[in-house]
Amino acid sequence: MHEISRRRFVALTAAGVAATPLPMWGGVTGAPVTAQQVVDRIQKSIGGEWNPKSVDGFKAGDPLAAVTGIVTTSLASLDVLNLAVKAGANMIITSEPTFFSKADTPTPPVRRAFGGAGRRPGAAEAPPPQPPPPATPAPPDLVFMGKDEFIKKHNLIVWRFSDHWGLRTPNPFAQGLVDTLGWSKFANGDMSQVSVPETSLNALVAHVKTGLKSRGGMRIVGDPKVQVRKIALLPGSTPIETALKVLPDADVILAGEVREWETVEYVRDTIDLGGKKALVLVGRIVSEDPGMQVCAQWLKTVVPEVRSTWLPVVDPYWRPTL
Amino acid sequence: MSTVTAAEVVSRMKANHGIPWSERSKRDTFKFGGPETVVKGIATTMFCSYGVLKRAVEAGCNMIIPHEDTYWNDADVTSIVSGDASYQPKVDFMREHDIVIYRMHDNVHAMGKADFTYIGLARALGITQYETATLHHFLLPETTLGEMAAAFQKRLGDKAIRVVGDPKAKMSRLQLGVGYATPNVNAPDVDVVVSGELQEADGMLDDPAYVLDANTLGIAKGWIMLGHNVSEEQGMLEMAEWIKGFVPEVPVQLVRSNEPFWAPK
Repeated sequence: MHEISRRRFVALTAAGVAATPLPMWGGVTGAPVTAQQVVDRIQKSIGGEWNPKSVDGFKAGDPLAAVTGIVTTSLASLDVLNLAVKAGANMIITSEPTFFSKADTPTPPVRRAFGGAGRRPGAAEAPPPQPPPPATPAPPDLVFMGKDEFIKKHNLIVWRFSDHWGLRTPNPFAQGLVDTLGWSKFANGDMSQVSVPETSLNALVAHVKTGLKSRGGMRIVGDPKVQVRKIALLPGSTPIETALKVLPDADVILAGEVREWETVEYVRDTIDLGGKKALVLVGRIVSEDPGMQVCAQWLKTVVPEVRSTWLPVVDPYWRPTL
Repeated sequence: MSTVTAAEVVSRMKANHGIPWSERSKRDTFKFGGPETVVKGIATTMFCSYGVLKRAVEAGCNMIIPHEDTYWNDADVTSIVSGDASYQPKVDFMREHDIVIYRMHDNVHAMGKADFTYIGLARALGITQYETATLHHFLLPETTLGEMAAAFQKRLGDKAIRVVGDPKAKMSRLQLGVGYATPNVNAPDVDVVVSGELQEADGMLDDPAYVLDANTLGIAKGWIMLGHNVSEEQGMLEMAEWIKGFVPEVPVQLVRSNEPFWAPK
């Protein structure tokens, strides 16, 4: 690790053990509960068969360690982990990967043996072919290593909860958006759609931006002046098949992310052909974060002995102004 | 009056490609209209949207060569979209105006250094002169991520550009991507990745989350997403120029599909 990052890294890790002015989110009443016991109770309470092939599961830490407090978040970034440590919580429940890929392991995915580009053009829907292993081992990745070290140093446990959480009815990620945006009385039963009092797309976008504390992650397709009422909620990543299904009965799709060369162009064509429609993208991480607030509330009923707290993420994106 | 057919245009594209043409591509095929259609004018474009079709017809073009799909899915499978209200009017318009569409995607990206989309984007960003020996890698005079993003946004008129990373971080080694082919930002010889689009999580490398943590650790990394359309549309100008060189019988021009997004203040 080079000098500057080592210094920053030490400062960051030291902050974790120093006395903290933050309120303590950790806290256990009654007999100690292990992380595995927390997961057992979640699996029992969630209903349905547990799919072992899902992305959900332990990503770091000792499942048999006693839990001092639970933090939920859509992204277990180092900033979030650091706040959890300061507050005395050692179990983090996240909806996105911890180690920056679907593989979600503390070692980086195999990289091409030269230069920078890892993905191959034209690999839009197929996974890229695995490059042959480099002749010499790649230098250690300081970010993977730094995060792994931080987690180990503070004995944190990270457990991913995305696929199964999203299967609940009503969808907790959609419910999180409904709650956060103040739309409870406008929502249908499964939270897939809200019917708000008629408003302009421009006003709707401003409301969503403020409500989700979006910085630069929002991108909009549609006439800012078009009047809208019915909003389909699609947190996370949405395929074109879903967009085709919900747009005919909605004025607006409010989504985390879609493929630009599919759903964005579908909405654009629908508008150009006279449809009074719109697409509002807020980013996947931001779109799923309120659902993890719902998760923290739910965990209070599942693991009442342990304090569960949602730590909101900051929109990763910013943009310069033209 | 020209008698050149769409089939003849495609056959000349294959002959002038410079490298062996891949016939295995499922993307690079006719998407509408017959190969025997007589071509009046050719429009290259990024997305074969309804707006592009209208503007192409107004410009006297009936052959469209888009880089991306026509029917809102990558494989251009019509069965999943044909029940939608927007499908039939688009098809009717194409039939009415004797449109023929041939997609040019995989064979562009097989061109390596000569790939129109990379050449066009580097030109539009004003960084061509800084290219290193590594493919699509550039060594720029040192600047900050904030200044770089602002300069690129101005050059491209990119309203919905998105940036991850510390605006004050010093950047010089740039890896360029286009469309969905976004390079991994964790390569040791890369400070900043500039590309079109990438799924935010559960990919080969989730660059946004990686850059956030790199910043926390004091490691300077930056990520600038231009949008799929903005990143690849630039090179459709190069593609038009290329086709002009071997189809002198009809006018060839770029018809822009333009950035689809706006961004709130």
